[in-house]
Amino acid sequence: MTVLWEGFVQGISGVLKIALIVIPLMIVLEIAQANGWLQKANRIAAKPFRAIGVSEEGVFPILVAAVFGLTYGSGLIINHVRSGRVTAQEARIIGTFMAIAHALVEDTIIFAVLGAPVLFLLVPRLVLAFGVCYAIHKRGAAAPSGQGNDLQASQ
Amino acid sequence: MMGKVTWKTVRHGAEEGLSATWELAKIVIPTTMVVAIFRASGLLDSITGFVAPYMSWFGLSGEAALVLFSGYLINLYAAAGSIMALTLSVKEITICSVMLLLCHSLLVELPISKKAGGPLTYTFLVRMGCSLAAGWLLGVILP
Repeated sequence: MTVLWEGFVQGISGVLKIALIVIPLMIVLEIAQANGWLQKANRIAAKPFRAIGVSEEGVFPILVAAVFGLTYGSGLIINHVRSGRVTAQEARIIGTFMAIAHALVEDTIIFAVLGAPVLFLLVPRLVLAFGVCYAIHKRGAAAPSGQGNDLQASQ
Repeated sequence: MMGKVTWKTVRHGAEEGLSATWELAKIVIPTTMVVAIFRASGLLDSITGFVAPYMSWFGLSGEAALVLFSGYLINLYAAAGSIMALTLSVKEITICSVMLLLCHSLLVELPISKKAGGPLTYTFLVRMGCSLAAGWLLGVILP
């Protein structure tokens, strides 16, 4: 019984520590969204992404995934492909980028609270995402068979 | 430059934050309790002894395997719960964090990526490859 209680207390105190940061940040993100700050950031962020074959149009899903999470970014990219705003090859690059680097705010906080340095929590994800996507971009044609890939099937 | 801040936006943000906290609590608290039982029953020690040699490739102790498994298979909250219930060094927490941020919640996120990125095996290999490579590198370079 004491063991269970000990685990419970550890859990509660951890949750509270994270809540103290997550709640204010969610408020800030909400304000950012209401004011369209992401659209403004899009124009600035577009440049580095050109090097990995992503157009200004395609950067937006990446930014959304980076700030709000993979589910939101994926939803956008599916729309972008359906409406022909990005090509299948570009979608592959965007999808790969956000699979590696997403939820840069919320997920980073979880581990920062536990004592990991923030630099380590952000830099490796961004470097690897750019690196892997650069390799795909240079390799050209969409990698592995499109089997089971909704995007290419719908092209 | 400063935008508009309305009461409605703030309240909506706070609600989002609270619901995120609730989601977090639902997973973290059971996890810390389960890990506490694992620990007290000696089950953790037997698992730990088994995987310790492999964990050392990443500069991690055997216990850290529990963190990696809960993160890869369940999600980052479960991994955080495991970290809270164990006594890992800052170096170990950093390595686990980096490995898990690159690759996590596979059961949930791989199907999501399949819709937006590519076949399951492709996304799995890319993410797991990045995770293991980063873990190995950090294990070597971190003091």
